Amino acid sequence: MTDYIPLGYFGISHKTASVEIRDQAALSPDEQRFALSQWIKTFGIDGALIVSTCNRTEIYVSGENYAVALPEIRQWLNDYKQCSYFTDEQITTTQSGYTAVNHFFNVISGMDSQILGEPQITGQIKEAYNLARDIGAADTQINKLYDFGMRAQKMVRTHTFLSEGAVSVSFAGVELARKIFNKFENKSVLLIGAGETAELAAIHFKDKGIPNIRIVNRTESRAKALAEKFDGKAYPLSGLNEALDDVDIVISATSSKEYILTTEILNPVCKKRNYEPIFIIDLAMPRDIDPEVENIDGVFLYNLDNLNGIVQANLEKRKKEIPKAQEIIDESIAEFKKWMMSHSMASVIGRIKKHFDSIRQKELDRLRNKLPNNGMEEIEYLTQSIMNKVMHQHIKMLKKSSSDLEKYQEQVELFFELYEVDGEAD
Amino acid sequence: MKTISYTISYLLPLFYLAVVILYYRIFTGTIRTHPNKTTPFLVGLLIIHILELAIRTFSLSTMPLSSIHDSFSFLALSILFVYIIIELSLNNRASGLFILSFAFILEVISTFYLTWEKETSELLTNPYFAIHASMSVMGYTALSLSAIYALMYIIQNRNLKKKKMGLLYSQLPALSYLEKMSIRSVVIGIILLGLGIMHGHIQSNRVFGTYFPMDPKVLLSDAIWLFYFFGYLLSRIMKWRGRWMANLALSGFFVLLIVSGLVMFFMESFHRFF
Repeated sequence: MTDYIPLGYFGISHKTASVEIRDQAALSPDEQRFALSQWIKTFGIDGALIVSTCNRTEIYVSGENYAVALPEIRQWLNDYKQCSYFTDEQITTTQSGYTAVNHFFNVISGMDSQILGEPQITGQIKEAYNLARDIGAADTQINKLYDFGMRAQKMVRTHTFLSEGAVSVSFAGVELARKIFNKFENKSVLLIGAGETAELAAIHFKDKGIPNIRIVNRTESRAKALAEKFDGKAYPLSGLNEALDDVDIVISATSSKEYILTTEILNPVCKKRNYEPIFIIDLAMPRDIDPEVENIDGVFLYNLDNLNGIVQANLEKRKKEIPKAQEIIDESIAEFKKWMMSHSMASVIGRIKKHFDSIRQKELDRLRNKLPNNGMEEIEYLTQSIMNKVMHQHIKMLKKSSSDLEKYQEQVELFFELYEVDGEAD
Repeated sequence: MKTISYTISYLLPLFYLAVVILYYRIFTGTIRTHPNKTTPFLVGLLIIHILELAIRTFSLSTMPLSSIHDSFSFLALSILFVYIIIELSLNNRASGLFILSFAFILEVISTFYLTWEKETSELLTNPYFAIHASMSVMGYTALSLSAIYALMYIIQNRNLKKKKMGLLYSQLPALSYLEKMSIRSVVIGIILLGLGIMHGHIQSNRVFGTYFPMDPKVLLSDAIWLFYFFGYLLSRIMKWRGRWMANLALSGFFVLLIVSGLVMFFMESFHRFF
């Protein structure tokens, strides 16, 4: 078995380039469509895939000509985006063969993400692949790379804790709330402060299905504007007691120098609700909530440090999963390699050719004793030529079906059966 | 039949232990794959346990509650049965380790008291009393589950208050869920135990012409039922919630365990069948 695979990639990522560079290097879906169709036409490659997100722009290229095409594509991108980033060795990474496959599997599994294990990248690659497939830029290699990559990421996510636990303060808050309230449907959130931090936290809670959002703010107009956004209710700071009535989650993020919520305010509220759990998130610095409120039965108070602690713990937990995840990826690469060895176009063509050639050689050996020596060269040339013509038809068919993985696989199986060629590679 | 029954009886604690280990591995996250496919193991265990019970019931012509072995074994079975229903209906396996460990302990105790004696008491061959006994055991099962949920509530409440985000925190369900399950189990327990006691009283009056008002076990059952019934009623009126309710359910269960133990082992009763 050989380790050869006609595939390579180059790219810019959060590991090599600043956000400004990544922004400029990013390709919109329309730009991707245009670039892919141009590259297929111009650079003699069989397939290509562009993964362009806020953290990376990576180009995967397949086909026997990929090594020659990669520098040309880099230059093309420089010209197209009017920059020099794509040929700058300092900020780009280039890999080929199974090292590129390993990188792709790492990316799709979230192992190469800025936030380890984040699942968004899988969806983004899915979109990129669909785009490439729709315009016919996904050949067998790209199809299978994606196919095996998806399988690898699924295994990584189900067999490890790489994507478990909240890794942002807002999500940590939501996750904690889920450990207090099983369901959010009939719960209410009170935002104290109408700044960006409180708003972001409220967005997460709203997304999780909390219908009732109240906003208390010193400047009532700002509270009203935010209330409108969340379809909630605004209160002035003097209406805090009223706003606290029957509320389940409180998120506070003001710039107040003094405590806004104290035991004196909260005690009667908790008593009225029979000490049913109330979850309070203090995102302010200095703190808005008197730490003493935690002593009230049913009150769960978490401040920024507590939430950051949870995030850090989750990140550590994710990091510990890297060896296990890499093991899964290695196994997936081995499987991918096995498939490529037996099903890659070069391998299939080689084996069919070998089959035809052995028939040809047998027949020539039979003839050799019967015919005068001087005629053999022409006959050999003739049979070779016939064989090449027959082979050409096979190659044409395989290439035609290579964009449709299912069809390609069916055709390969048919050839294997027809010519009694073993499915396993030599 | 005796050999088959004995073999299954001795194997059952091992099967329960295997299930507890499985749930421990799910709880600790050792098993990351297929944690949702545990139900066939539980159903398999349930079938084996029912088989053991059926063999004993038919071979000894008695109901499966007449000896310490049978009582504990039946209690373990009913806990397993109720847990399967909970798991299937709520698709939550976090409480499995706690509940099934309890069933495992009961099954181990039952194995120590394994005997093979044919039932001679006429009362225990009466199917009407079997209904009374089964309902009462199911009622006690529900009360046991309520205590387990209450215990989990107290642990989770403590984790959240003290900000202990360890394994227990991550594996235990939400507070509101635990509270709901504990209260629901109490209600089911009150209903089943109430029906069981009522049925027992009616049957004993029909068969023996008396309610056995001075029998310690009868008195105890009535007292336990009244304690839970009025406790629940009071909690509704007073609107006790969360930690209060959990402490009540847990302490109620401990009182039940201690008093029952004392009555069962140290006092004479017509209920003493073993």
